[in-house]
Amino acid sequence: MQTALSELETTYFTLQAKIGMLLAACTTQGQRDALTTQYVAARSAYWSCVNKAFHDDDPAVVALTTQLDTSNKQLKTDVTQLGNINTTINNITQVVTIGASLAAKVIAL
Amino acid sequence: MPNARVATPRARRRAIAASVLLACLFFAGGCKTSDDAAAAATQLTATAKSLTDYYSALDTILAQTDQLNAVQVVLYGIPYDDATKAQITDTRAEIQKRAALAKDLTDLAQNFAKLTGSTASTDASASAVQLETEVESLKLTKSKMGSDEQNLMKIAVGLVVTAIQEHKEREAAQGISKFTTALNGFFTKEAPDYISLNDDYRSISSSLAKSLLQNGQTDPSSFFKVALDPYGLTPEVTDSKLRKDIEKLAEAQVDQTSADLQKSQQDATDSMEKSLKQMADRIVLVANDKPMQARTAPVTLADVEKWASQFTTSTQSTATTTPAKTPASPAKTATKTK
Repeated sequence: MQTALSELETTYFTLQAKIGMLLAACTTQGQRDALTTQYVAARSAYWSCVNKAFHDDDPAVVALTTQLDTSNKQLKTDVTQLGNINTTINNITQVVTIGASLAAKVIAL
Repeated sequence: MPNARVATPRARRRAIAASVLLACLFFAGGCKTSDDAAAAATQLTATAKSLTDYYSALDTILAQTDQLNAVQVVLYGIPYDDATKAQITDTRAEIQKRAALAKDLTDLAQNFAKLTGSTASTDASASAVQLETEVESLKLTKSKMGSDEQNLMKIAVGLVVTAIQEHKEREAAQGISKFTTALNGFFTKEAPDYISLNDDYRSISSSLAKSLLQNGQTDPSSFFKVALDPYGLTPEVTDSKLRKDIEKLAEAQVDQTSADLQKSQQDATDSMEKSLKQMADRIVLVANDKPMQARTAPVTLADVEKWASQFTTSTQSTATTTPAKTPASPAKTATKTK
């Protein structure tokens, strides 16, 4: 299993690598706003945790890290295949939400 | 010594620390200026200089990351929120503290190497006091893990001070060896964060570069300079198919350069860890009056210098600049790309 930081990296870097293509796939300003909101949240989670101590042995952190690991694998597939943009944004939102929970847990420890 | 009588305990401690740190390497092993101690001082200088360059390169990377986030505002309309900007600024300040600590250690080691007797120079005293200040100012990125090493560094300085007060030069040298060992541990614990900072920089810069390429916002003609420059000709690419072909080549080049940057930093980080360990091990030998076999600078420092040199020019031009200015809010229509 990866560490909490590396999973947050994966979420953020996966979006970062494809953000131009994802934005280009958006057809409405609402979709673009939703996407950039999730991107900013993923980036914020990453930077919030860079300076914090990571307690990877905490059960809650381990559980969230495992959950994020699974979601990140799906995220990579979603942004590469790029099917329905609304579905993709929804999936991104779920992954980023897990990442935000992990970041909050880590920061609180 | 009237001044000594009125000095505060802290001032006296610092003054003693200065003379200690100057003397400990040269008087290790029973008050003699040994060749091994002089060689150790020279090697410590080289290692500390590379550590300074390593942190300076990271500082440049963070400065450029700040600017790249500002570019994203313009190119994609992605807001650069104040919280993230503050996190990057704070992280950069911490890296600068580490660079300052490494610079102080370099200055101190250089002054060790210059000394031939027991008289402490003013410069060396100032370096020692500054080093103590830098150790105390570190805010740890991994408070639980890194505090051990920071405490060890503080304790090591304390040991050196106590030892010199009691004229125990060998113990003073052992204090310095503890300091370098703790510094090595400190660097190793934080190394994954250093790698991550570079990965973020690589990821965002390569993503932006490829996006600009794919949207025809770059001039690919420079690819032909190698063929035309010798003949004084200037490229002017007008054929759209040729431009597309070059752009594909350029995208591959972006990926390759990014991968090279990743590998070179990983190599530099590994080498820095090895060099710090080598240095600590050598000082331990000197501190325990054992012969030191290797007297050259650790060979692995070349990897560190090679990686850090990629950011030298940028350091001079960007390290002192203020954080990137960003629009208060991105233009909603600025995000549309092809």
